[in-house]
Amino acid sequence: MDTATAKKMDPFLAELAGIVGPSNASDAKHIRYAYSYDLSFVQPKLPDYVVMAETVEQVQEVLRLANREKIPVVPYTAGTNIGGLTIPERGGILLDLKKMNKIIDIDVADGVAVIEPGVSHAQLAAALGPLGLRFGWPVGPPSASVSSCCISHGIGGMNARYGLQSQEITSMEVVLPTGELVRAGSCAIQKDAWHSVLPLPQLDGLFKGWLGTTGVVTKLGINVHPAPPILKIFTVSCNTTQDMYAYMFNLSNYEICDDITAVSWWLSQVPIPYPYIPKPADAAEWNSYATTFSWSEKERDARVEIWEKVVAEEQKKGSSLAVTHYPEEALRGRTQLPSQVVGSTKNYCKMGGAGISWPGTFTPAKKWAPVYTRWKEILIGHKLSPSVRMSMYRGVHYGMLRAMIPFNKQNPAETENARRAIVECLRVDLDEGGIPYKPPVDFAKEINLRADPGYLMLLKRVKQMLDPNDIMNPGKLGF
Amino acid sequence: MDWDISRLEDLEHYIWRCTACGTCRVAYDFGPPATCRPICPAGTEFGFEGNMSSKGKIAFARGILDGSLEFDEALLNDIYRCTICGGCQSQCQLDHKPFIPEIMEAMRRKAVEAGAGPLPLHKNLTRSLKSYNNPYQGPRRLRTDWTRPFKKAGRPIKDIMKQPAPVLFYVGCTGAFNQQARAIPTATASLFHKLGLDFGILGENELCCGSTAMRLGDAEEFKRLATQNLELFKKLHQEQGVATIVTSCAGCYRAIKKDYILSSAYDEMMDGVRVIHTAQFLYELHQEGKLPLEGGLEMKITYHDPCHIGRHLNKFEVDADGSQLWKGAYLGVSEAECLYEQPRELLKAIPGVEFVEMERNRANSFCCGGGGGVMTGFGEWAAKNAGLRIQEGLETGAAAMASTCPFCHYNLSQGAQRIASDMKVYDLVELLDQVVPAK
Ligand SMILES: Cc1cc2nc3c(=O)[nH]c(=O)nc-3n(C[C@H](O)[C@H](O)[C@H](O)COP(=O)(O)OP(=O)(O)OC[C@H]3O[C@@H](n4cnc5c(N)ncnc54)[C@H](O)[C@@H]3O)c2cc1C
Ligand code: SF4
Ligand code: SF4
Repeated sequence: MDTATAKKMDPFLAELAGIVGPSNASDAKHIRYAYSYDLSFVQPKLPDYVVMAETVEQVQEVLRLANREKIPVVPYTAGTNIGGLTIPERGGILLDLKKMNKIIDIDVADGVAVIEPGVSHAQLAAALGPLGLRFGWPVGPPSASVSSCCISHGIGGMNARYGLQSQEITSMEVVLPTGELVRAGSCAIQKDAWHSVLPLPQLDGLFKGWLGTTGVVTKLGINVHPAPPILKIFTVSCNTTQDMYAYMFNLSNYEICDDITAVSWWLSQVPIPYPYIPKPADAAEWNSYATTFSWSEKERDARVEIWEKVVAEEQKKGSSLAVTHYPEEALRGRTQLPSQVVGSTKNYCKMGGAGISWPGTFTPAKKWAPVYTRWKEILIGHKLSPSVRMSMYRGVHYGMLRAMIPFNKQNPAETENARRAIVECLRVDLDEGGIPYKPPVDFAKEINLRADPGYLMLLKRVKQMLDPNDIMNPGKLGF
Repeated sequence: MDWDISRLEDLEHYIWRCTACGTCRVAYDFGPPATCRPICPAGTEFGFEGNMSSKGKIAFARGILDGSLEFDEALLNDIYRCTICGGCQSQCQLDHKPFIPEIMEAMRRKAVEAGAGPLPLHKNLTRSLKSYNNPYQGPRRLRTDWTRPFKKAGRPIKDIMKQPAPVLFYVGCTGAFNQQARAIPTATASLFHKLGLDFGILGENELCCGSTAMRLGDAEEFKRLATQNLELFKKLHQEQGVATIVTSCAGCYRAIKKDYILSSAYDEMMDGVRVIHTAQFLYELHQEGKLPLEGGLEMKITYHDPCHIGRHLNKFEVDADGSQLWKGAYLGVSEAECLYEQPRELLKAIPGVEFVEMERNRANSFCCGGGGGVMTGFGEWAAKNAGLRIQEGLETGAAAMASTCPFCHYNLSQGAQRIASDMKVYDLVELLDQVVPAK
């Protein structure tokens, strides 16, 4: 700690420093400033303190203190959630967990890794590789946290095969807002058993999708999977959303792919055009890639055979589907994960500049076409590219529908333009039955407007039970 | 002579290209197999996002420009807790990538202009530059102390101010004044003698290259020294026949190659003069078969890339007029001038040497922790960071770590001591001097 800070240290900071050590606690404005914004349209707000915890006990102590003083606590790992979720709505303590970055165990026999919240995708990828294991990496920054992605219902490169990142969770250890240490899943019954959240009551649900408002996850068990050596990527294009949806629907029924994704022409550009430019008339509206991994060439060929059958079936129906070449750089960025190039936001933001937000949703696949049509009108109306992605989830016919919207964050008017367009898109999707993930407060309010009163009552009651003083990331649930 | 040195305000557009994605935190390579390690010495030690890589430094720059942040003691400390190593820059992919170290130094320049920077310990350096023309408060006569053994052995080194020579060996202040780093000019001169090279030194007339001042944000002091040096180089070319300036100092090399070109008169002053680092100079001789290597060194050696002759020599391609992408777009990078392979090739050429690579190398080299004024401002941390680098070297099984920079040499030696490691730290020239036979 700097001498000047030490001399006039406020008593609360002194208490925090007493817990985590003076070099891990700060109220210096420049330190707080670096946590006041992210890449989204959410307006910057400063925390009052920043604290880096290194142990579970420190997290407990910090939460006890904050709870006693009724001071907000915002859990943070890398701040890349694209929803302003670590921007403090009401000040308080920014609890940075990046130093808790141990991979506690990789149990090859159980297919489970136990990690601390600061473990990054890149770090885990480097550790799993030599063991012949893999995980469904997102197309986000390699330096972002695996556990934050999982507890936020993140989306990764094996969604079509294993489900969402949160479905990979096998157990967890959590510090409650009141400071108690609790466990959910098998590790709650036998402390070294991290293999499953089932068949117990799914208490892990109290901490997934809650945006850091119910506790601080300090250890997470996740499934990791064997990595087959042979990758085959099926690439097709379509001129209409309906045709693309029909192809993805058909292919997903065979359950042979790790990821079945389609991206609109604007999203397949490197980078996404900003502002909007029209698509060349001869370019397809949609490009799709679907990844499939095999242990042998024979297995790969069998998978190819199924895919060829799907393509033939769709074409027979008169679809605009064509087997085609996916733009090389974009394809690498989407299949060589974690990807530094895509994670660096280059493919998304290089032209727009500093800002990116999304209406990122889980939407019934049958609604993709009507929602996309409306999104396109709205986004083009705001001079923004309709850079949309659709991905089919495991064994179901709903999936990710998301528009990645870059904007020039240096300019407040352009930022506001993007915000308005995105919120408008979100309303359209909500009204069609879609639900946004990692929702910024603007979205949370829209969700709550439409929510069943019983749901809201239950949500508030659970939150009140876990966090009686509303200290955990307050405001993020839209109330 | 005019200088084109950016102000922080000039870089505001680029500062607003950063998305805060945090990719600059780690040196990550997809592989396969994937590799991942932290890349930022400051982030590794201090950990707050503001300390972390370019993401953090750009946050400070934004705060300074939007009026949210003032140069108080705490902010100043954190602005100078950065080795300007460029490790973060290697990871970033957006349009501000080419300007990242520039943004960091422009922030320091603004602090100096505001009367706040540099840090008190740094002020000793800049005061010394003003009084002694070197950052070590060394009287000029001490500059030639390292040459005494040559005189004694009857092989005096030419004073280029008095005797013409085609090659000027520009020693640099660290090599001349730092006891431990003196081994580097000594080995360089010894090698040059053995190779029968006609060279001279400036001796007491050598001035600091100005790198220290530039890295600390003291643009005025840099300009004073650089202007005098450029004028001196021109004079030496015209009057003493100097056509090549060789330096064993990565910092001096970087300054002359990359900072001096900010002068409007650079082309005129350097007309007919080539500046070259010893690693490249000796590599060229090796390629031409003019570097005889005899005997051998039975050693397992790894190589630490100094930032200043590695990624700092990247040549970025920027769309200046908007004809390719848009105005100011980052188009690509050429590593052609980075001295990555030359030192490695020379080490591998030494009979008996087993060369091993550390995980973080070349563009992803982990800075020793000594640059950007850190060794002076935060000596403890600099040595601690060097200890981490030595540790990485130990993981390869190497018994020795070679480098090509007196700063790295000194700091890595401190690091090895700090972690009580047996790792031997050498400069490339020290090793070559052992295997190049006397004529
Ligand atoms: C270009 C780009 C592409 C992306 N692509 C994807 C993608 O394909 N799929 C995807 O899922 N995400 C994606 N993301 C979002 C994000 O990168 C990932 O979800 C990431 O893993 C989140 O990690 P983080 O460390 O940044 O979390 P943070 O932003 O720091 O935190 C996320 C949330 O978790 C809370 N939190 C953090 N730690 C804890 C804890 N220990 N306990 C309780 N709550 C906690 C925070 O308060 C916040 O609400 C992308 C982001 C970018 C910038
Ligand atoms: S400097 Fe580059 S890599 Fe680092 S946060 Fe900013 S945009 Fe990302
Ligand atoms: S230049 Fe080096 S020390 Fe400075 S922020 Fe970048 S990586 Fe860290």
